[in-house]
Amino acid sequence: MALETRMVKAEMVEAMEFQDLAMEFGVSGVPHTIINAGAGEIVGAAPENRLVMEISQALKQ
Amino acid sequence: MEKFLGPDVEKQVREMFQGLKEPVAVVFFGSKVVHCEYCKEIHQLLGEVVALSPLLSLEVFDLEENAEMAARFRVDKAPSFVLAAKNGDQLEDTGVIFAGIPAQYEFTSLIDGLLMVSQRDSGLNEATRQFLAGLTQPVHLQVFVTPT
Repeated sequence: MALETRMVKAEMVEAMEFQDLAMEFGVSGVPHTIINAGAGEIVGAAPENRLVMEISQALKQ
Repeated sequence: MEKFLGPDVEKQVREMFQGLKEPVAVVFFGSKVVHCEYCKEIHQLLGEVVALSPLLSLEVFDLEENAEMAARFRVDKAPSFVLAAKNGDQLEDTGVIFAGIPAQYEFTSLIDGLLMVSQRDSGLNEATRQFLAGLTQPVHLQVFVTPT
């Protein structure tokens, strides 16, 4: 998604290395996707359509 | 330090790298300030990966000393690295960032990411591309993963 637009930054965060950050977002299992610092999230796998839906939702807040 | 990639893995990765098209620079940010337990390891691992194709290169920066570069690539933590599109001498930010060591399953994500950026194609479906093209606000995705 980041490759499609400058608006998106996609960061793969290694949860053990960045434990504080993982804790801040309540990450207990992986993968866990956080959208805009918690405005949205997906626990588990994030298929393309689901991710689009969650991003839309998160941006409405 | 011993090599991370054994001959079998190197062979596999070389085969996958047949799919590389355009140059990609792996832009690494380490730090002398923040605790960077695996900086040396990641640096070495990335070096071994880029050595497997002439289309790949590694650029090394420091998060604090090269703050301008970090800002340009939207990097705010170390160790992190960006898969930047290399066009001529120009490094173009893609927003594709890995924070922490890409071991085990994440190693596959790294190889997939390199292929994607090299092909300059996200592989996403048309509806998703249209949605992304219409974004007017920044979206920061953080996918938390572990090496196991």
